[in-house]
Amino acid sequence: MSAAAVWTGGCQCGAVRYRLKSAPTNPHICHCRMCQKAVGNYFAALARVPLTDIEWTRGTLAIFASSSAVERGFCAACGTPLTYRFLPPGDRINITLGSLDDPNAVPPIRQYGLESQMPFFAHLHESPGSITDNEIAPDVMAKLKSRQHPDHDTQNWPAGEVGQ
Amino acid sequence: MSESAVVYTGGCQCGAVRFRAGGLGRATMCHCRMCQKAFGSIGALLVTVHDLTWTRGQPAHYRSSSKVRRGFCSACGTPLTFEDGGVEIAMGAFDNPSAIRPTEQLATESKISWADSLPNLPERSPERKADAAAKQAVIQTLQHPDHDTDAWPRR
Repeated sequence: MSAAAVWTGGCQCGAVRYRLKSAPTNPHICHCRMCQKAVGNYFAALARVPLTDIEWTRGTLAIFASSSAVERGFCAACGTPLTYRFLPPGDRINITLGSLDDPNAVPPIRQYGLESQMPFFAHLHESPGSITDNEIAPDVMAKLKSRQHPDHDTQNWPAGEVGQ
Repeated sequence: MSESAVVYTGGCQCGAVRFRAGGLGRATMCHCRMCQKAFGSIGALLVTVHDLTWTRGQPAHYRSSSKVRRGFCSACGTPLTFEDGGVEIAMGAFDNPSAIRPTEQLATESKISWADSLPNLPERSPERKADAAAKQAVIQTLQHPDHDTDAWPRR
């Protein structure tokens, strides 16, 4: 990571955007059943920052208190899982790695909750793979219009509604 | 799996949205950037479902592209569906995801650089795990159980 690195991210639709003022620490994946169900996946991928080091640059989180100790934040407009936070006195918040604009820059260093790990987790990368061109014909792909927010901050969003 | 007896149930974390599927089709791990951002993760594990019934509530939808809409729970955010004509459901939302075997990876050109090395990551130390378990013991979960319920939330 370069000295100039900035850590920005947000939800799929772009209604909620954030900027981190310090490098996220303890990047990890958690296999616990609560994380699995919260994100509809095999695990949650998370990294933390002090609460004082996250700035919400667009919109606000919707919150679900998944237990007496934890709040999970998501975008109310598109559902993207965005945060995991222990309630006070905790002073940190975790952001989901896939919501970062550049998740490649924050590789996990640890895994939690192995007792709930899915049996096929360790074999995911062994399945035969294909690229998008094999799934969707190029002419169909060319006509497909993504509505996802780009992987960088924007002045105005959605772009189409401000005449861009 | 027997043809007639197997049903697949599941839902979101809070239990406001529950579903039942009569059968499953293709089960995939999609690495595309849209699935990454929609799920806040390395991508999406999705399985095609047949005979789908929403047994409690309904997902909210976001149209992520001209071709696709994605369903989620508006009360807790759990990503639930990928719909492009057919319906695929997020594997982690099933009550028993271990019954579903993903057999293909899609959009590998967008795979996150560290995705394949996740199984090799170390665990926390036994001390840290014991400490976390002790804290966990006093926490009251608000997650819906991994089976259908007559009434929810429980009073």
